[in-house]
Amino acid sequence: MSKPILIVGAGPAGLAAAHALASVGQSVVLVEKAERLGGAPILSGYAKLVPSGEWAKDAIGGMVRRVQESRLIEVHRGATVTAFSGAPGEFNVELSDGKRLQAGAAILCTGFTHFDSLNKPEWGFGTFPDVVTTAQVEQMISSGQGVRCPSDGRKPQRVAILLCVGSRDRQIGREWCSKICCTVSANIAMEIREELPDCHVYVYYMDIRTFGLYETKYYWRSQEEFKVKYIKARIAEVTSDGEKLIVKGEDTLVKRPITIPFDMVVHAIGMDPNVENKSIASVFGVTLEAHGYLARGNSYANTAETSRPGVFVAGAATGPETIDDSIAQGHAAAARALALMQPAQARA
Amino acid sequence: MPIHEKSLIRPENLKTHEQLVVDGVDVSGHWSTFIQSRVVTDYNEALQEEIAALPGGEHIHRCWQCGSCTNACTVNAVNPDFNPRYWIYLVRMGMESELLRDKDIIWQCVSCNKCTYACPRDVVPEGVMKALSHWLELKGHTRKSPSMIFDEVFTEQVIQRGRIEEGRIIQRFFRRTGQALGQDWLIEMGRRLLRRLPLGMLTRLGLASVRAPRTHGWARSREALREYVAEEHARQRRALGLSELIEGAQRDAAGIPHA
Repeated sequence: MSKPILIVGAGPAGLAAAHALASVGQSVVLVEKAERLGGAPILSGYAKLVPSGEWAKDAIGGMVRRVQESRLIEVHRGATVTAFSGAPGEFNVELSDGKRLQAGAAILCTGFTHFDSLNKPEWGFGTFPDVVTTAQVEQMISSGQGVRCPSDGRKPQRVAILLCVGSRDRQIGREWCSKICCTVSANIAMEIREELPDCHVYVYYMDIRTFGLYETKYYWRSQEEFKVKYIKARIAEVTSDGEKLIVKGEDTLVKRPITIPFDMVVHAIGMDPNVENKSIASVFGVTLEAHGYLARGNSYANTAETSRPGVFVAGAATGPETIDDSIAQGHAAAARALALMQPAQARA
Repeated sequence: MPIHEKSLIRPENLKTHEQLVVDGVDVSGHWSTFIQSRVVTDYNEALQEEIAALPGGEHIHRCWQCGSCTNACTVNAVNPDFNPRYWIYLVRMGMESELLRDKDIIWQCVSCNKCTYACPRDVVPEGVMKALSHWLELKGHTRKSPSMIFDEVFTEQVIQRGRIEEGRIIQRFFRRTGQALGQDWLIEMGRRLLRRLPLGMLTRLGLASVRAPRTHGWARSREALREYVAEEHARQRRALGLSELIEGAQRDAAGIPHA
């Protein structure tokens, strides 16, 4: 019996990697710091996922189930890796729950942390209850409660979605584009319009980056079918007149300042590097790239590599990533880790 | 270096008091000049729906502000203030007061449709311009344009008889727009016709203007068309929040008998 492969993090990438390995007979030890498996889509209560529109609890829930049902996958919940040493093929691992094991390779699927909107106080989050984040709107939808103003539970009649909250913002040290928020926001805008047809939804943007095929399904469709309005304006501040939220900025296309009342303001929050990346980097002896994500060792020949041989990486741990690409990267990392486990003569 | 923001100041927003004393300080005239805010304080969410309810405006919500229409525009080349992209934006966002500032040039679209072919999103900007002119007129912001009056005279005859007779159209058009029938070009045309003396043609022309031909069995079509036009007028007025009663001239245009 060969040594297991250690997978850290049970989000889309980790679940995909674990399943891929188990399905070819490779044993896996899956360590997840939360008490539930599923990663951000489950822990943050996402509603319908981009691009399939399946509910997160069904799509990612299915991935969780097949991992839980596998005899080859040993799951450690509420646990972290506290020590990691050795060389490829014979890593020594210690977990916070006391478990010690030897692993042939490790795959880090440690994901990201949602941007905390309190870091942009001028946009009213934490000050006004009706300023919420995209993650909160996802929860309103996935819980079945529907999109309501948290202050009094009323149905909003006008919603503003602010893009690039915690992304592309040098002032707060976040220069990256979080890649998926434009698409997610267009998706949320359509869901609001679907649930509340009388509610008008405005998206305030710097650029719209509904990349690739999302252009049709999200950017165009949200305008053509759902009449979502896009306004090129970087919002200066969100205040309140005591009744409504007041959004201030400049409509750059008409060169006019705007001071518009809204019932609800949604921050399209970005993806920060996992807040624990520094300790993850030090435990596993891997390096971080300039923004604080786990650094890839190679951009082309082996995209799953980190700076340390035998330690691989997949998903949003390496930078803002979509769910489907994270899953693909989980599979890719599984193949790379598995290759390492083969006897030397079996390798091409 | 010129200050570009100066171009954003509107003369009507410059306020000056000839006589003004504040806290005992005389700030009369130039000293009291201040610029009123030009902040947009609300969106009129009905505006886009209103334009979309008029023929031609149906696809306005597709616009993503690339500016292809304005770049392709024949009228823009002559008058840089003629900017379909900008007006589409104002309508989509509901900036009605801003739109009305341009009411005297919006109807100048010549319907060349270059914008329609340039538009990557099938907004049909030419249709939107038509809808905009129509909207301005229905809401009472502008008077009927001569081309609108011509269309009415033309439609009226088609509905009435199932065909048109050019002589009558021209006569009525000139009468309704208050123009003299004895236009130079018309007299010149008549003179040249007479010089060639095309007897057959002149006979047909004369007969047609006297007999005012009709399409055979047109009565039922006329009724159906009148009904449709009346319904359509009522629908448009409802969409714009106007009373459904329409004025005499429009009744004439639609060929609807006066009550």
